[in-house]
Amino acid sequence: MQQDSQPVNQPNPFEKVVEFVDERVGLKTIQAKMLNEPIPGGSRWAYAFGSVLLFIFILQVVTGILLMFYYVPSTDHAYDSTQYIIHEVDYGWFLLSYHFWGSSAMVVMVFAHMSQVFLWGAYKKPRELIWLVGLALFGIVMGFGFTGYLLPWDQRAYWATVVGVEIMDKTPIVGDFMARFLKGGPTPGQMTLSRFFVIHVMVLPAALAGLAGLHIFLFRKAGPAGPFRGTPEEIKAKTDYFFPRQIWKDIVAMASVFLIICSLAFIEPVVLLEQATPDPGDYHPEPEWYFLFLFQLLRLKMFGGEFGQFLGAIAIPGAFMAFLAALPFIDTNPERNLFKRPAALIGWTVIMIFILIFTVSAIINREFLH
Amino acid sequence: MSNIKLGLLVFWPTFWTGFPIKMVFCLLLLAAHMHPWEGAGFFLLLLVSIPIDIWALGLCARTVFIDRLKVDPQPGMGPNLWIRWAVFSAIGLPLIKVIVSGTTGVAKSVTSNIVHAIKDSIYPTLPVAEQISLELVMWGSVATGVLILCLLGWLYGLGWLTQSFVNNANPLEGTEEERANFWDGLRIPADQPLLLTAFTGAGIVLVFVFWALLPSTTPHPHEEYEFISKGPKEEKVEPKKVLKDAEKVLAKAELVVKKLEEEKGGESKDSNDQKPKEPAAKEPQPEKNK
Repeated sequence: MQQDSQPVNQPNPFEKVVEFVDERVGLKTIQAKMLNEPIPGGSRWAYAFGSVLLFIFILQVVTGILLMFYYVPSTDHAYDSTQYIIHEVDYGWFLLSYHFWGSSAMVVMVFAHMSQVFLWGAYKKPRELIWLVGLALFGIVMGFGFTGYLLPWDQRAYWATVVGVEIMDKTPIVGDFMARFLKGGPTPGQMTLSRFFVIHVMVLPAALAGLAGLHIFLFRKAGPAGPFRGTPEEIKAKTDYFFPRQIWKDIVAMASVFLIICSLAFIEPVVLLEQATPDPGDYHPEPEWYFLFLFQLLRLKMFGGEFGQFLGAIAIPGAFMAFLAALPFIDTNPERNLFKRPAALIGWTVIMIFILIFTVSAIINREFLH
Repeated sequence: MSNIKLGLLVFWPTFWTGFPIKMVFCLLLLAAHMHPWEGAGFFLLLLVSIPIDIWALGLCARTVFIDRLKVDPQPGMGPNLWIRWAVFSAIGLPLIKVIVSGTTGVAKSVTSNIVHAIKDSIYPTLPVAEQISLELVMWGSVATGVLILCLLGWLYGLGWLTQSFVNNANPLEGTEEERANFWDGLRIPADQPLLLTAFTGAGIVLVFVFWALLPSTTPHPHEEYEFISKGPKEEKVEPKKVLKDAEKVLAKAELVVKKLEEEKGGESKDSNDQKPKEPAAKEPQPEKNK
């Protein structure tokens, strides 16, 4: 009988490279830890929001870097360089429009993710820190929107910043300092643009990357909360690993969001208004759509005057954010079933209706301005 | 299970299962300068949606049947159920649109009259922002209520059309885990590497098609848009003209210097005459911009 001289399981070159890296960094252990995370109650579409957020952020970084190859952050050239990106650079219009709609998608996803965590009661013990870091990430995403809005240096950008900084100025104690720091002068100019640019491309991405890492670390430490209904036996029976089902759901959700952002870039590509001037002319200043409800709220008579503006712009939103931060420590009841937490369900519904009504009101209000 | 719940349980995952595939097609249409919501683009989207919806409906309905109702439907449920749903929705959805838009119109009109009556008799200084929100809440509540009722009716219809398939289905035996494994076994393809290769290949082809269709410069979809930033005008430099101009300038300068020297000489000669001075030579005036 002839013996086979070839070894049976000879590794191919790729396997050899993997083996080499694995010996040095523990690749297989990392892979196993990442993919074999148990998900109590099995995979769900509702769990995809966090992964989608990470995906959008990565694409925002990529498109942002590509835009920075052409963008010039000076008041003399910001507008022209943005026009150059839109009209001259190959696919520049698409990159800019994708980046613009990507920021809106990020706000929507943050909102969806926070809503899911709130409604699932996943902020409760032992996940308080995940919730707090998530709130900080929410603030950073809003900061991205606010600072990025100024960069094209058109009338819309300029006046949205003027309004935003004026609102910030109303904050007690630190408001004046923050407004002066951001503006860098009596009116928005080169210093404002430079500072917004640095915050947008250096400070906030670094902060977001760091906090997102901490968020994921804390999440993996505490483990997924799982569904809010079902007996422990039922949940245990349906428990599945992160791979392959949740990975598949995450990929499909990411692809869907990517397709939606691309489609929006086609349907409503970025079009600049006139270059920024200290004279608004016929332009009625307005913030980005996700701040519209707050903007409309401040138009109400009860929020008129110095104190009213402070109440509507700073005190109420500040108190709401403070309440959200304190929520895991106030709501210590371990019950997570949404239908046994009527205050949570009603509260969330009321806030959603409130935001919807005031956002639509702000859109209708445009007709009255002309 | 109620008809509304059954309709919702089947419709909701069916919609989301077909959505990403339809979105791919929508994006390709947009890249090819066709709007998926009008004209030929809409027709093409409808055409592509038919097989996608039949497949998605069959898959999702069978999942609900096995997972929730513990029955296995008869083969060929997808196309049969789709035809019923499509005919029902083709009549029902336009009807809902007519009802909701009609109700919204009436509600807006009534609301406007009520608010104007309030302004005339009770609160003449009602601010604009408050008026907008008040009117929106009033007509929006009515419109939303009617929309929800109509949608519930539509879902009831979808559930009712599905019930006959439930009645004809075969009951499934075994535990929950066994049923889940049974359905998993049916969905796992026989040749997994082939499926993965086909998916990857389709993805690569779609990416190439997208980049081939994607306009490299902005498609300017807004008619009112004007290119605002024209940038500095480029001037062609002609060396001969530049030299000729420079010679002219030098000749003029020489003339001016010469006349100034003459004037200076004249001044020292007639220094005792005390006559009022006149400029000997005018400086060249800059050309006025026309």
